[in-house]
Amino acid sequence: MNCLDFRRILLSGDGETGAMREHRVACVFCSDLLKEHAAFEGELRSALEVPVPAGLADRLVESLPAASPAEEQRRNRRRFLAAAAVAAGAIGIGLYAWRGRDDPMALACIQFVMKDEAKSIMMGAMPRAEAARMLADSLPLERIESIGSIRHIAPCPFGEGTAYHVILMVPQDKVTLLIMPDTPMPARGRATHDGMYASVVPLRKGSVGIVGASAAVVDSVAGALRA
Amino acid sequence: MIASGPDASFDEAVRAHAGDLFRYAYWLARNRQQAEDIVQNALLRGWRAFPLVRDRAAVKSWLFSIVKNEFHRATAQDARHAGVDVDGLEFADERASPFGMEMRDALMALPASYAEPLALQVLGGYSCAEIAALLQTTEGAVMTRLTRARQALKRLVLPTDGKERKGERS
Repeated sequence: MNCLDFRRILLSGDGETGAMREHRVACVFCSDLLKEHAAFEGELRSALEVPVPAGLADRLVESLPAASPAEEQRRNRRRFLAAAAVAAGAIGIGLYAWRGRDDPMALACIQFVMKDEAKSIMMGAMPRAEAARMLADSLPLERIESIGSIRHIAPCPFGEGTAYHVILMVPQDKVTLLIMPDTPMPARGRATHDGMYASVVPLRKGSVGIVGASAAVVDSVAGALRA
Repeated sequence: MIASGPDASFDEAVRAHAGDLFRYAYWLARNRQQAEDIVQNALLRGWRAFPLVRDRAAVKSWLFSIVKNEFHRATAQDARHAGVDVDGLEFADERASPFGMEMRDALMALPASYAEPLALQVLGGYSCAEIAALLQTTEGAVMTRLTRARQALKRLVLPTDGKERKGERS
């Protein structure tokens, strides 16, 4: 390190590195520069630390809504669920009547992928350990990972309860899984809509919806998950 | 330290970081009233999203990023923004030394693109890499901005700085 490097790193403000220290010990000019710089940084900090308005923290806390965020989120979730249930119901019934053979739950899974998948991804993923614990009784993560790579997993409101939304990359394509531990299905259901294909498969506990762009891939994943 | 319930945690986070969030907002907006409004609106947004925050250890960075976004949102909405709060500068005289006042004037003259990473580094205690993540740029770009910011400040408050000294090794 030379004096120029020393000054460059010093001015970036990221702190003194070991190499800088070695150079400074041997260089009286950089040693003096560091002392000057420390005084400058002190003044800089004082100048940046503008006085905070009196009682700011109290005012900010008081300005927050009275209801807890969790409660408001539950309220919003209930509203979302109610609206989603009405929409899914209307779409499902309409399509069911029209197509005659589409399973409403499978159709709802396709609707989720088309309308709510991006939103769910933006809400962030859950830790793997938590996902493994939550899904242990219905569809163990190891089973899912034996057929593909999990790119995203998170809980999300679906139907009248909670589903675990999984983006799974299988060798052929991407598929979406909606694992519904609290929603049992008596038998397998299928649906197609808008170029997408869905299959809902009963699990040991609950059921899983599988959505993809190809019936062959969805059927292959469904078979692997049931095995 | 984050307490048990989500409300208590958020309140505690607000109390712990209110000062730094206000100062950061101030150096973005250069206006005390606008800074307080920005922080208040940002915290309201933060409060709504708080239950979704999984990494509670990163709450401070998260709040800083919401303040930044709120500033940009407010600025986009209010095209009149750009004015420096002259009234708000009165506080500077109360406690700052003459050199400190010069420094604050120099900071006021810095472009926002220099003042923002400087405030994040000095007030928030973030490294160049963390600032780069917050500002969605590269670490190298942040280092350059910080170096230029300090060079500009030194030129303004230390007129002799910048001249090469005898005996320097290059």
